[in-house]
Amino acid sequence: MRTTKIILLCLFVFGLLSGIALAENVNVVRKASFDKANQIIIEFIEEIEEAWAKDVNNFYVYQKINPDILIGVSKVELLPDKRTITLVMSEDLNKNEVHIVGMKNIKIGKQTFPKLQVQVKKFYFGYLFSIFIGAMLVNNFVFTKYLGLCVFFGTSRKKSTAVGMGITFTIVMVFSAMMSWFLYQFVLKPFNLSFLQVVVFIGMVSLSVQAVDTILRKVNPVLFKAFGVYLVLVIANCIIIAVPLILADNEYNAVESLMLALGAGLGFLVALFLMSSVRERLELALVPPSFRGLPIAFVTAGLFALAFMGFSGMSLF
Amino acid sequence: MNQILRITTGLIITCFLAGLVMGGVFTITHDAKKKNEHMIFEETMLGLLGYGKSTPPPQDLKFKAIYRYLIEDAKDIERKDLAYMVPVLDDKGEKFKLLILSQEGELKEALDLKLEPEKAFEAKERQEALEAVLGKEKRAIYGDSAIVAVQGDKRVAYLLPGRFPGFKTMIKAMLALEPDFTVKGVEIMEHEEDPGLGGEITQDYFKNQFVGKPFGKLKELKVVKEPLPEEYRKILEGAQIPPQERARQLSQFKDKDIYALTGATISSKAVTEGLKGMASSFAYRFKNLEKIASTQGLRLAF
Amino acid sequence: MAATTKSNSELFLNGILNENPIFRLALSMCPAVGLTTTMTNGLLLGIAVTFVQVFSSCTIALIKDYIHPRIRIPTYTFTIATWVTVIDMVLAAYVPGAYKAMGIFVKLIVAFAIITMRLETFACKNNFVKSFWDGLGMGLGFMFGMMAIGFVRELLGMGTLFGYKVLGFRTLLFFVLPAAGFFCVGLMMAIFNYVEFKLKQKRR
Repeated sequence: MRTTKIILLCLFVFGLLSGIALAENVNVVRKASFDKANQIIIEFIEEIEEAWAKDVNNFYVYQKINPDILIGVSKVELLPDKRTITLVMSEDLNKNEVHIVGMKNIKIGKQTFPKLQVQVKKFYFGYLFSIFIGAMLVNNFVFTKYLGLCVFFGTSRKKSTAVGMGITFTIVMVFSAMMSWFLYQFVLKPFNLSFLQVVVFIGMVSLSVQAVDTILRKVNPVLFKAFGVYLVLVIANCIIIAVPLILADNEYNAVESLMLALGAGLGFLVALFLMSSVRERLELALVPPSFRGLPIAFVTAGLFALAFMGFSGMSLF
Repeated sequence: MNQILRITTGLIITCFLAGLVMGGVFTITHDAKKKNEHMIFEETMLGLLGYGKSTPPPQDLKFKAIYRYLIEDAKDIERKDLAYMVPVLDDKGEKFKLLILSQEGELKEALDLKLEPEKAFEAKERQEALEAVLGKEKRAIYGDSAIVAVQGDKRVAYLLPGRFPGFKTMIKAMLALEPDFTVKGVEIMEHEEDPGLGGEITQDYFKNQFVGKPFGKLKELKVVKEPLPEEYRKILEGAQIPPQERARQLSQFKDKDIYALTGATISSKAVTEGLKGMASSFAYRFKNLEKIASTQGLRLAF
Repeated sequence: MAATTKSNSELFLNGILNENPIFRLALSMCPAVGLTTTMTNGLLLGIAVTFVQVFSSCTIALIKDYIHPRIRIPTYTFTIATWVTVIDMVLAAYVPGAYKAMGIFVKLIVAFAIITMRLETFACKNNFVKSFWDGLGMGLGFMFGMMAIGFVRELLGMGTLFGYKVLGFRTLLFFVLPAAGFFCVGLMMAIFNYVEFKLKQKRR
């Protein structure tokens, strides 16, 4: 019950934040987004004048970071609803950059505006989702970055252990990553103390392990009995310290950090689950004596790693 | 109670000692780190110009840097100006001037900066100098930099450090252009591509493919998925052959596209696109800057 | 376990052979898989780990009488983190090129199980000199393991050793690929097991 409440609260905050991010182009333009490789779609709130819309000279497009380099607009198409236009550029756009579309003498409905600028950027949810999937599958910390292997091989013998470890790890991961992110952004960076990264981050990890331990013990003793044993192991897992370091390097914001931490935790869970399923079957298989135990587990992990290479370079949005 | 007191004192003493050790090492290594980073940067630049340990650079070879900033005005958010920090010469010697350009590329203001040329490579010093002239309402955001290598009063090359997205993470590279914007050399400074696949972008047989491409060709350079011809690979890797034969062979491949690395087409494309973007935006901006300098009667230090 | 009765040389060799962190204890596997494409990487990370292990062991051996048992583990972590920060800053300042090649792994030494384990099982019960030899042995054992895997992968994958060309012919790219780290470690462990198995049979 309490968990549901917390999840709902998280979702609410999350929705609020993304809502703020989207509600920027208010007045006349309803929506502006990228389309095909060289196209931008702009939807207005009212019908616009056809002659104005078809004139290429009324539009200019540039990347936000390079305002002096204009991107040539080769054609403007007006859709039959008379509200939506498609700008066709002379070259392909780099969709990772925020683009600005400027318009002159806009004739919309009965009004005329002298000038207007619209920001076009990638769909923010899509970006967040791609961070999440990226951390979980494409750059899975176990199979493509080779981190957290000690705990990975130690706890993947049975499915039940694997799931328990994965869940505990994800919870602690999210806690500690968010705290580390906060401390890094608001304490370490402003005071030029980033050389203390390692000490502070490992401190945050121990702190969140301790906190989860205490809270779980009081709130839900049954759950604590099931998952308490794994809490100690969390601290020996490299991933838990690697994620804050990556966050600090890449200057992610709060929501993006949450997504990466969650993706990393769930990615570890997925890896553990897959591995434990195989290892349960390996128990029954005829393995050469010198390969029994860890060696065969390593070879299996190698096969998984090869399979995960298939994800590499995949981009969703 | 007694226990808590003991634990806390123990912890405080440990923290104090650890802080002392870390702080001490930080002060010792901080300057060395900066110096080393600067040295590596300079070595990369010299390497691209063809100088190294066995061939020391001439005494009169100088590097003059241009820094580009984006100026945001708190009063007018839609307005974005560009600012170039350029070294200019006057009667007293060399000093930095800040040229503020409108979005359309016209000069709005030319301000004097209090910045010593020797300290200009430090971002902090530059930011302080900028804040002093711009005031509180305008904010300067660092864009990129370009370095003009000068020998005597002759330009030798343009060196463009830059970063662009690779297959996995950002790739940091430096591109050297001749005064007529033909590619002089490419150096990959930092990357995290897969070793053996995308990691091969640091190899001579890939990087040197860009060398000698004229600007016109560079602007529309593409990546082809064809095997690299064996004789071309030998030249690219610096095989010992007579200079005439070498020149003849190279001219044969001058207008060819870039041969993709085996198993790493995306990395090859990323590098090609990144370098292309760096070169074309630099050429556009630099020509504009020169035009402004000549109409304003500024004596640029390069 | 009370204070050890082994001599210093025995302690030193123990880390390299009998209790080799990589092949025997199977701890700190992350760098053994991720960072062994070249021998140079193995050597450098080995040096860093040896440094951290020796200094942490010595520190703990010195202050072991003053550590309150309830804050034992946090003190260990804190000590390790301090020395990791030190080696991280030193490497970043004086060997920037190699530091970049090792990437995030230098900072991750802080989470290597082997170091905490040695502090918990050895350094907190033994004196300064013994802890020093044990730490040095463990560190060098780790370096030896890393370099052994690096040797196989670099030789078979690129035909080079420490960056110098050794083999003349085209090599198997597979061994440099990230996933091959798992296979190499698995196969080498199996070989170690096999040799040990045979030796035991002979003794009988």
